[in-house]
Amino acid sequence: MTPTVQIEGSTGRVILSGQFDFSAHREFRQVCESLIANADVREVLVDFQNVNYLDSSALGMLLLLKEKIGSANKTLALVNCRDAVKQVLEIACFGKIFTIR
Amino acid sequence: MKILVVDDTDAVLLLISRFVEALGHTAIQARNGVEAVEAWRGQRPDLVLMDMMMPVMSGPEAAAMIKAEAGALWVPIVFVTGVGEENRLAEAIEQGADDYINKPVNFRVLEAKLKAFSRTLDLNRQVVEQSTKLADYYDRAEEEKRVARHLIDQMVNAERLSDPGLEYWLSPAESLSGDLIAAARTPGQVLHVLLADGIGHGLTAALNVLPLTQPFYSMTEKGYSISDILAEMNNKIRQVLPVGRFVAVTLLALDEANDCVEIWNGGMPALQIVDLQGCLLKSVPSSNLPLGIIPSHSMDFAPVRHYFDQAGLLVACSDGLIEANGPEGGAFGIERVLEAIGNNLCGNRIESVKESLSEFLQGHSHHDDVSLVLMSFGVDAKPAERAGTESPAIEPGFTMPSLRALDLCKWRYSLTLGADELRYINTVPFMMTFVNEVKSLTHSQSDVFLILTELFVNAVDHGLLGLDSKLKQTAAGMEEYLQERAVRLAGLTEGRIEIDLAGLDYGGSELLQIRVKDSGAGFDWSGWSRAEAGQTTFAHGRGILLLRALCVGVQFVGNGSEVLAFYRPSRNRQPHVNAAD
Repeated sequence: MTPTVQIEGSTGRVILSGQFDFSAHREFRQVCESLIANADVREVLVDFQNVNYLDSSALGMLLLLKEKIGSANKTLALVNCRDAVKQVLEIACFGKIFTIR
Repeated sequence: MKILVVDDTDAVLLLISRFVEALGHTAIQARNGVEAVEAWRGQRPDLVLMDMMMPVMSGPEAAAMIKAEAGALWVPIVFVTGVGEENRLAEAIEQGADDYINKPVNFRVLEAKLKAFSRTLDLNRQVVEQSTKLADYYDRAEEEKRVARHLIDQMVNAERLSDPGLEYWLSPAESLSGDLIAAARTPGQVLHVLLADGIGHGLTAALNVLPLTQPFYSMTEKGYSISDILAEMNNKIRQVLPVGRFVAVTLLALDEANDCVEIWNGGMPALQIVDLQGCLLKSVPSSNLPLGIIPSHSMDFAPVRHYFDQAGLLVACSDGLIEANGPEGGAFGIERVLEAIGNNLCGNRIESVKESLSEFLQGHSHHDDVSLVLMSFGVDAKPAERAGTESPAIEPGFTMPSLRALDLCKWRYSLTLGADELRYINTVPFMMTFVNEVKSLTHSQSDVFLILTELFVNAVDHGLLGLDSKLKQTAAGMEEYLQERAVRLAGLTEGRIEIDLAGLDYGGSELLQIRVKDSGAGFDWSGWSRAEAGQTTFAHGRGILLLRALCVGVQFVGNGSEVLAFYRPSRNRQPHVNAAD
């Protein structure tokens, strides 16, 4: 899976596709770091529209991202979570620490 | 290169040797096959240039011997052949020779061939070197895994998993498991079961779950509640694991004496409680974040309680089991797990889940660690009741006046807590840390814990908080009781409790005296002796029966806000209080 990035105004959107697991580690990190480094971007959205599977290491990557975004004083939201993704996020109760839309 | 030149004609031997040397190589000379084999053994040339027809031993024979002895090491052998030797040459090449050059030797061609072999030899050496390195890495990795596995086995203490009433299955996706199952009993015989799932699988996942074992075992041993243990495990994970690493955890506490299972689920698939007919009674989904993500004070470690009035089975598993993908797509799912258990309720239920999964996977392997825990409840006789039938309240030879007259104390441990301290100090487990160290009490941990807990809880709940135990008669009442207790304890502004442990000398053997005094109004204990006659069958009466069964003497003092209990330490190892043993 290769994440793509769209920037509209102050919102940066990371669009993921396929399986989001440890194999996506490097690309996901690079894409996110570019958004964090971009001073115009105030809000980062991780878009799960095309993701059909999410494993626990993906949850770990989201936690890392949250930490980095927080220290850069930006906001983060997880958007367009479909059923399979939503279910994993619910079991982990990630709704308690992430904005999920 | 070091080149072995073999020819029985001196002129040819000399000519080729000189030419080879002129190209910058070293020549070793041999005059027949036997000499060639000896030269190979002694000087290990990089390449052999050999005549075919020679006395004593022919070229092909020598080539076969050299190839056999060289084994995995590649020694190119090039035959120098005359006209009419084609048939033998073909045979020789089939048997392992690498190339040939015709007589009379064209030195331009020989030079080119030597260069080509030199390149191939270099490549070959690199490959050999790399594969040796790879083999080394492999061996080292296997050794590390072996050590890690041993270490993990030791820390996980599989022995304690063999608890009656507990069945489990752990099947790692790799050689090390990122799922962890642990079980241990508190001194009060409450069975604690931990099921944890670290991120990923293999060694790093196994390392993630390891920090849980130490707080789990040591705090269970001291009788801490699962909420306290969870808070400590959460702290530990946050302390030792990097950001982004977390552990999904289910922690269970089965208290057969009070017909209650406490369940805490943080990030694991829903737990299922079924009755012995296989019907689903209750499902407990995850309602908490996994451990290691946010600080303990932001977490809610209050467990879900299930009170049971009939025997049943609690089913807990990791997502590796229910998300195992079959070859036709789709996940195994919790329904199949429950169905497999339901089909074989009285038999080997774990085996039947295993069979069902392997049938589902049709010979494929699961991609994540799989773990499954089955905990039976309500099957065994209750420890408190059993204990209640064991021994008379006061053993012959022990009378209250004679006990109270004892004043020689070998040691004493006193503790006084005010309202503020009572709110947050977990008193009994804290005192157990001391009790654990007293040698004469080594085999009495469980009894002392039960007595202390009973006396202390009575002093707090009834003495200071004024709670009514009648509430505890039903499951709903129990829940209400516990909630009310939490509210009143949080609002407690005054009151104190004194606890006093002393080792008394009673005719040469040691006797433990436990005194608990609260600042409350006391109660009318004149009716208390009636409980002794077995009239009290309610939950709150069990405590009294238990005390009388365990102690050689129990007496209330004054207005009832002070109680003295005398206990004779066991000299032998206590078996687990359980009907099964």
